[in-house]
Amino acid sequence: MAAASVYTPAGFDFSNEVRNSFLTERGIPLPKATSTGTTIVGCLFKDGIVLGADTRATEGPIVADKNCEKIHYISESIRCCGAGTAADTEFTTALISSNIELHALTTGRKPRVVTAMTMLKQMLFQYQGQIGAALVLGGVDATGPHLFTIHPHGSTDKLPYVTMGSGSLAAMAVFENGWRPNMERAEALELVTAAVSAGIFNDLGSGSNVDACVITATHTEMLRNFVKPNERVQKERSYTFRRGTTKFKKEDIRSLVVSEDVIHTGEAMDTS
Amino acid sequence: MHAFAERFSTNGAAAELRRAKEILGEDDDVSDVMWGSSGGFGSLVNGVPKFAVPSVPDPTSFLRMHTDDHADPSCRIKIKHGTTTLAFRFKGGVIVAVDSRATAGSYVASGTVKKVIEINPYLLGTMAGGAADCQYWETYLGIQCRLHELRNRERISVAAASKYLSNLVYSYKGMGLSMGTMICGWDKTGPAIFYVDSDGTRLKGDLFSVGSGSTFAYGVLDQGYRWDLTDEEAQELGRRSIYAAGHRDAFSGNTINLYHVKEDGWKFIGNYDISEMHYNGPGGADGYGYDVRVQGRTSANPPPEAAAAQA
Amino acid sequence: MSIMQYNGGSVIAMVGKDCVAIASDLRLGSQAMGISSHFEKIFPMTDRVYVGLPGLATDVTTLHHQFRYRLNMYTIKEEREIEPETFAHLVSSTLYEKRFGPYFIEPVIAGLQKTASGDFKPYIAATDLIGCLNFAKDFVVAGTASDKLFGVAEGLWEPDLEPEDLFETIAQTLLNAVDRDAYSGWGAVVYVLTKDKVIKRELKGRMD
Repeated sequence: MAAASVYTPAGFDFSNEVRNSFLTERGIPLPKATSTGTTIVGCLFKDGIVLGADTRATEGPIVADKNCEKIHYISESIRCCGAGTAADTEFTTALISSNIELHALTTGRKPRVVTAMTMLKQMLFQYQGQIGAALVLGGVDATGPHLFTIHPHGSTDKLPYVTMGSGSLAAMAVFENGWRPNMERAEALELVTAAVSAGIFNDLGSGSNVDACVITATHTEMLRNFVKPNERVQKERSYTFRRGTTKFKKEDIRSLVVSEDVIHTGEAMDTS
Repeated sequence: MHAFAERFSTNGAAAELRRAKEILGEDDDVSDVMWGSSGGFGSLVNGVPKFAVPSVPDPTSFLRMHTDDHADPSCRIKIKHGTTTLAFRFKGGVIVAVDSRATAGSYVASGTVKKVIEINPYLLGTMAGGAADCQYWETYLGIQCRLHELRNRERISVAAASKYLSNLVYSYKGMGLSMGTMICGWDKTGPAIFYVDSDGTRLKGDLFSVGSGSTFAYGVLDQGYRWDLTDEEAQELGRRSIYAAGHRDAFSGNTINLYHVKEDGWKFIGNYDISEMHYNGPGGADGYGYDVRVQGRTSANPPPEAAAAQA
Repeated sequence: MSIMQYNGGSVIAMVGKDCVAIASDLRLGSQAMGISSHFEKIFPMTDRVYVGLPGLATDVTTLHHQFRYRLNMYTIKEEREIEPETFAHLVSSTLYEKRFGPYFIEPVIAGLQKTASGDFKPYIAATDLIGCLNFAKDFVVAGTASDKLFGVAEGLWEPDLEPEDLFETIAQTLLNAVDRDAYSGWGAVVYVLTKDKVIKRELKGRMD
């Protein structure tokens, strides 16, 4: 047998699969991964695309992260909002982002939104919905602004305004009511904020702050924590403990400062 | 006392019995004459009280579906479980010791549960399994024991009390009652312990331990048990056994409640914190904990003599 | 019964003023039965990067070795010590590689990150069992007592705690949370990382 490579090949590793499916057969369910309950939206306006997202990540009924980032970088003028299994949206967009970068370097052109969309849908279709990523992809390229939704099984839609995630119904209600063609930038941003806010306040899976991203042909503006409607107020009193409260059995202090004593031996250097 | 006067008096045993019957709505036609033997008919003469059951085709499986957290951890109703209780008979009476932790799933719902139910001054019941089931039925048993006393002008025997409870829970068999209890006391025959559970099992014995931590308690108990234990030794054995269970078992712990039943009834000995027992012990000098006893000496850190001998 | 609860155990990390702390319980159980009260779940990866691995004990050991191996490969290739943020991504991608057959571990990372000016910036992160990173500015928790830890930490943590105050806060948070969890406890250990020293303390916790 050839010596095992110290480098593992790219792609998923199924080596724990046998053990884990044995456990599942024995009636022990697989633990839940972090999911982004999520409200993610996108809408078309006169000069480009506005994307929006909330910032809550949940693990079952627990809010695991109160301020996570759901608008992922694909390229300078293409961004992607992710809903579903948090790790899947994170790694899928990261993978496509690097492939888009390589594609751009190979072709020597700015990448197109359809290219990113096709890469994403082909990957998701290949995994037959096992990768739980529901995405809103938006950007501006040589052919103009484009806005897509991509479902976990690989189906896609191209629409002027889209929503996804558990808060999509609340957000879509706002869009259906307020969206008009050829809106101004400020109007569009306000509408996206209102749509995400509808998700934050009316959907339990979404919450905290509004992230937004405005993409135009010339410029991309990432508005992290654009609105913070749920800021926690200062605690009314301090809950620090008096030093020495906690009893401990053993203490071990390791100094990280390297000290060195220089002892002169022999004669001093001739510096004359 | 004159029989006529007794019937209309407002105090005394007969009056109390009459009031109790009114509250319970018992049939007054069951006259004293019918209580021929001192054992009597038992008050099951009116049948046992019945629960209202859910109006679904199979109430038993309906209840199980929503309460069996072992099969389905996400079930809607989590009944509090997990316990260590023990009781043993010896020369000086009966020792009853229990822990005080109540858990719902992995959550420690309480650390101050009273798992010994004081049925009357001569009878104790322990609590394992469904807390509500034990509490309700053992209190109910207390009522019945008092009625027995009033009817028969003598205290109920531990055997009779435990049999009353076991008959009662047996009539609900399969309907979801969950209790594992020890009825302990002192009667004409001396100290007695009966193990009764919701399956209908009823066992007489010298030594029992019930609950998730019972195996750990048995380990210490079996090792230290003798019939001629002194009172102090017996109490220490009870305490030490519950400590062992509280230490090892995730679903037992917090504090120990210790009781001693003697000829003149039970006596509460004390409440002991298990962590306190681990580090300092009951006297504040010798902790029960392994690390405490070996004073940090392990194979990796042997005492100096042993290390020297090895070298 | 989830496999994450089979052995029990919890880890928490908190940020302080120019320092971080990471703490865990010491229990190794087999379901309800306690096996060991010396099972450490926190491992130093470098002088200033510590990782806590609560979850299934077999995977604690496997992943610890896996991380050490990958870290050594990194150090050899890069000829420098890894930074906490880089290490967090190493953890994340190691776990995501096994997306469809995961390790049952939810790692917590705590460390001090070197800034351009040569100072150290506190860094903490946690991931779920398939490697979704969660950076937090205040505290991160994981393990069987995670929901209880969330509650207590949310109440006790405050910004800019000095190392000694951070020690008290993280220790009290952990001890009080694990006392309400059947599968965690049996002693605890706290590491406080400051720019010039690492303090490790074994706490006197409840042993039941």
